[in-house]
Amino acid sequence: MSAAVGAERPQVVSHVQQALSYTVFDCRWVPRSARLLCLGSAARGTGIIQLYELHGARLELLREIEKPKPIKCGTFGATSLQQRFLATGDFDGNLNIWNLEAPELPVYSVKGHKEIINSIDGVGGLGIGEGAPEIVTGSRDGTVKVWDPRQKDTPVANMEPVQGESKRDCWTVAFGNAYNQEERVVCAGYDNGDIKLFDLKTMSLRWETNIKNGVCSVEFDRKDINMNKLVATSLEGKFHVFDMRTQHPTKGFASVSEKAQKSTIWQVRHLPQNRDVFMTSGGSGSLHLWKYEYPAQRSKKDSEGSEMGVAGSVSLLQNVTLSTQPISSLDWSPDKKGLCVCGAFDQTVRVLIVTKLNKI
Amino acid sequence: MNSLKLKDAFWMTTPGVVSIPPFLFEAILYAPIDDTNSTAKIGNGNIFFTLYKKEPAMWDSLTLANADKEKLQYLRENAVLKAHEKAKEETEAKKITKQEHKKYALEATMKLEEAERKRIEDLKEKERQKVSKELELWKNQQKDGDKYKSIQKKGELHQEIEPLKERKSEKMNKTRILNEGTSKTRLKSTKGHGSCSIFSQNLKEEQLPAPRAAATIKVNFTPRVFPTALRESRVAEEEEWLHKQAEARRIINSDLSELEDLKEEEKNPDWLKDKGNKMFAMGDYLGAVNAYNLAVRLNNKLPLLYLNRAACHLKLRNLHKAVEDSSKALELLTPPVPDNEKARVKAHVRRGTAFCQLELYTEGLQDYEAALKIDPRNENIEKDAEKIRHLIQGTMQSS
Repeated sequence: MSAAVGAERPQVVSHVQQALSYTVFDCRWVPRSARLLCLGSAARGTGIIQLYELHGARLELLREIEKPKPIKCGTFGATSLQQRFLATGDFDGNLNIWNLEAPELPVYSVKGHKEIINSIDGVGGLGIGEGAPEIVTGSRDGTVKVWDPRQKDTPVANMEPVQGESKRDCWTVAFGNAYNQEERVVCAGYDNGDIKLFDLKTMSLRWETNIKNGVCSVEFDRKDINMNKLVATSLEGKFHVFDMRTQHPTKGFASVSEKAQKSTIWQVRHLPQNRDVFMTSGGSGSLHLWKYEYPAQRSKKDSEGSEMGVAGSVSLLQNVTLSTQPISSLDWSPDKKGLCVCGAFDQTVRVLIVTKLNKI
Repeated sequence: MNSLKLKDAFWMTTPGVVSIPPFLFEAILYAPIDDTNSTAKIGNGNIFFTLYKKEPAMWDSLTLANADKEKLQYLRENAVLKAHEKAKEETEAKKITKQEHKKYALEATMKLEEAERKRIEDLKEKERQKVSKELELWKNQQKDGDKYKSIQKKGELHQEIEPLKERKSEKMNKTRILNEGTSKTRLKSTKGHGSCSIFSQNLKEEQLPAPRAAATIKVNFTPRVFPTALRESRVAEEEEWLHKQAEARRIINSDLSELEDLKEEEKNPDWLKDKGNKMFAMGDYLGAVNAYNLAVRLNNKLPLLYLNRAACHLKLRNLHKAVEDSSKALELLTPPVPDNEKARVKAHVRRGTAFCQLELYTEGLQDYEAALKIDPRNENIEKDAEKIRHLIQGTMQSS
């Protein structure tokens, strides 16, 4: 599938490229603004938070904040639109919430895990979804913990291995199903290919499966609706799209999988304005834009009469190679359709614009 | 009049020889002629030579009169050489022109491709610019939105200072607004908004549920036959091992006539193995060997049979047989995977012991070291290996 210019395919246009002097692990748009944040680790072993603003064809550095430990991931998901506090997880297992106007001391801080926090997600903030604002962190120590910024020191939920079980690194976490005040679901992906779905309302494991290869990234298409679709990406270039509307008692959720890139798929991000379009970023420095098509019937009855889901199909809309190093982080702007930022291990952050998304 | 093409004729400069096979006309001219421009025409039984002199001068005669044979020869050779050179030069010139033509063609294609590429680039640029403009517009909208919000905030602060009951009258109170120094209409509407948002915010905060009651969910991780994730596994080898084991179990060497005399259970190699193990434990080594022998005849692919028989032979001091059996066991225990580690360690240790008892200490040490490599934490093996090393050193010193 080659990039045809002038055709009706969405094009990925590289708008700005900014070279950084540190390794960037996560990049996020600041909601309701043309500003973006880069989080990473400097060569001297400290954490860096940089705030940039988009000015025409370049990025202007507004602020640089240095912290004692390298920062792995961050989210705005659990904060209100007025406050816009950033929640970060660092290499030491600390969860901190920062007010970027006064970043000397964190608003909330807890040493949540014994090892690096690999992934963080927030829900209940930004005017999206309902219910209490919560942050979930997944760490290399095999545990997944849910935090409420109003409760100090102890997590409100803790998913940890059974006593005596050898732990597996948790690589990714995501919130979902937050369509009313009580319902919440956390999905966690581990390095041995396990995907587990925890229901926070009943405090139980709702579903688990194993996709053989380590799970690099999971994301629900929307956090604030009845869970609809879940995309899980893994090593060796595979990703799975699960249809989450119908859960079969034994077979779980129906899925379709696609082997797209020869390398690890590091991230998947759904377009905030269209939940059937998502972008995957790969270890070969490439980005693929996909569209999911629903099947004619989303569920059918099996031989015993219980409902089981039917997975649809995925089609590739566009792909580009931007770098020779893996693109480890990707974020769509929630305010401008098609604007996204990606950070790669070649120490550059790129702002991209995906055109013609209205026509899909 | 037929006009000869020059290539049919072979001109030489000085002597002036025309060779039109099969005929030869030779005339040694007085002075050099310009052979490129000269022509020869045949017609009406005549040949017309049109020769151009190299140097315009009057010739004494057409041909050189006093030409002796040697001079002729020399002149001829010279002419031939010169002609050769000319031919070479011509081919060279042809080559060069060919190359130049090629180059030209290449450059032309390159230019075309450049043009194409440029066209695509231009299209992309246009897209980019269009998109950038949209982005700028949007960004400015955002900025205005932010300004709006900051004014809103000011309005909110202002309101917080005022006591609650005065709020209603404030909406009408324009003088206060004027004192702020900002535009009337804007603030007025902002104030309205401001109060609304404060109210709604308060409501929302009350609506937020309390933090969840802390709870823990215990998880189990997916077990596999081998506890490694795909990226760490040596799946191919492990599958092979499993496959081999499964196959081994299915083999039944059933073409022995004595089998008919055996009881049903005695035909089962596993049962026989267990019997052998029990006899070994009780000290009946010969009996154990018999049991293992029968089991092997039934199924010669089970490595554990050979392993255990090796142990028996060690006890019976049938050292060569012990070596044989341990080797056979090791053969069957390929590919080396974590699952058959213990068996391999045992095989190496037994073979090592047999070698040592045969006083083949170096071979024995080799086996012990192999065992140590598989299981570095086993102290007994470590101790025995040390002992053997000392023995070897002792024998070397004494010999």
